[in-house]
Amino acid sequence: MISIDPSLLAQNLVNGVFTGLLYSLVALGLALIFGVMDIINFAHGDFVMVGAYLTYVLATTFLIEPSLTAFITMPIFFLLGIVIYKLIIEKVLGAEPLIQIAVTVGLLMVLRNLALMIFHAEPKGVPFTIFTQPIVLGPITIASSRLAAGIVSLVALGLVHLLLTRTKWGIAVRATADDREVAELMGINVKKVYAVTFGLGTALTALAAALIMTFSRADPYLGLLYGLLSWVIVAMGGLGGVVGVLFSGLIIGIIEALGITIVGAGARELFIYLTFFFVLWFRPRGLFGRR
Amino acid sequence: MPGTLSKKLALTKERLYSLVGLAIVLALVPVFLGFNFYYVLLATNVMLAASLVAAWNIIGGYAGQLDLAASAYMALGAVITGHLLASFGLTPWIGMFIGAAVAVGVAVLVGYPTFRFGIKEVWYALLTSALVVIMMRIYYLIYGSFETYIPHMEPEWLYLTFRRYEVYYYMLATMLVIIIWVNLKIKDSKLGYYLAAIREDELAAEALGIDVRRYKLYALMIYAALAGLVGGIYITLTGILSFRLFDPWLGIVTAVMGIVGGLGSIGGAVLAAVILRSLEEYLRGAIGATYPGSHLLVYGLILILVGVLKPEGLASLLDYLKKKIIRR
Repeated sequence: MISIDPSLLAQNLVNGVFTGLLYSLVALGLALIFGVMDIINFAHGDFVMVGAYLTYVLATTFLIEPSLTAFITMPIFFLLGIVIYKLIIEKVLGAEPLIQIAVTVGLLMVLRNLALMIFHAEPKGVPFTIFTQPIVLGPITIASSRLAAGIVSLVALGLVHLLLTRTKWGIAVRATADDREVAELMGINVKKVYAVTFGLGTALTALAAALIMTFSRADPYLGLLYGLLSWVIVAMGGLGGVVGVLFSGLIIGIIEALGITIVGAGARELFIYLTFFFVLWFRPRGLFGRR
Repeated sequence: MPGTLSKKLALTKERLYSLVGLAIVLALVPVFLGFNFYYVLLATNVMLAASLVAAWNIIGGYAGQLDLAASAYMALGAVITGHLLASFGLTPWIGMFIGAAVAVGVAVLVGYPTFRFGIKEVWYALLTSALVVIMMRIYYLIYGSFETYIPHMEPEWLYLTFRRYEVYYYMLATMLVIIIWVNLKIKDSKLGYYLAAIREDELAAEALGIDVRRYKLYALMIYAALAGLVGGIYITLTGILSFRLFDPWLGIVTAVMGIVGGLGSIGGAVLAAVILRSLEEYLRGAIGATYPGSHLLVYGLILILVGVLKPEGLASLLDYLKKKIIRR
């Protein structure tokens, strides 16, 4: 039998929960875009990557705390999302999935290689952050940057949930997601809803990227990891809204932690993607789906 | 009905002539390149990409399944051929067929439940992309980050450890011609018509009594076998066994080339692979050193343009040219 040190397991599980919260935040933008607009966005992870670089540039140029750059990067990304929507995404709305995938893979290649051209391949990290002091609870040590990332993610998820359920705009978004034509007949400006949704989905990646930069580094290949991961979470969450995304992210974070504890760090992606296979095979509508 | 029969024959003849023409052109390429080491290596890489895209065309173009795992099946063929050669001294001539068989086995293992549970479109694409990462991680858990080198063995023709690239070029060019031939054969067969029906409308195909799962699985198996064989040849060229062979990115790029070429058109797919791969190498040489990644950036822009402006891809251009020539 494999013997596992219980305190190590507890430690990894706690890490898994905080990582999972962050993963939920990364996936939330994709879930919004896919759920509302039916757009298959393969470039989602690469927005996280671009956000990480933007955080790096802002933090090191103006010497500000990386997590605080989110106040600058989120509005920039909101506009960037709308521009990309107008230039590219609008043209492939309702197109075959294959065409949407082709176009967003093209976008992914542009973003990634732009990053590679400007910053070259070596990872870039911000050498300072206010989150340095770890929190020690008995045998468990929590990195304060991870804790902060988890809490901010949870708050952001809550805010988006409120936005979708308690505001007029949120009702318009959900109506559009349910039935585009009827929503249009009810006087909802669907084009505008789409543009703002894409902008919001993109802006959320900037927040996630700012949080990631407090404990990790930016490199051009970050996109593939976060892109696939987001899709795994969206697949699990189905179209169950923010709550589905939250729980799926947590599950993925915990599975990753268990994989690291039982087999080793080399196995973290292995368990996530195997889970993905089984979820798609046996619960194709997701664990929290409603359709 | 002799009329229709001769028509059918004529079509096959036309295709046969194009295939023979292609083979002659491919055979002459190294001569035109003056047997220059570097250029022949580039041509070999172009043949590799074209073969992989041609194999992908069966599952992606004909069956309409956006498979992103071409690199997984290729790498499986490669590592099995390579390890059999490096550890047991088994000739790649046999090894590559074992590798292809294993690739087919994995394809069935993954494809059967996937088609059984009706996974398609974006989920199929993501699943296959995840498959590449899963296999990479499994290889990594077994062999770690070590790279295994295949030593030079004599006789060269038996162990395929040639010192010049021309031999590999001709092997991959032959492979390409064979894969195109398989494509053409499938297109005109019962399987090809079934796959076309599945691609156009899966539900309608099923309603007509086509065993959708079975024929999708057949397409996947043929594709995996061909990709595995290509991998077997590829490993004798590079001689380095590493987990990096399982490259999710290569799987995506293969599908991208197939899409740019126009789905279901083998001519377009091969043309796209040849043009894009050559352009990539040219741009890498021209501007890649000063601006790393710029060649792939151009790639991405082309893809966006093709997707937004001309979803039929290069194949529509080919058709257009063909019509023009015939009209004259």
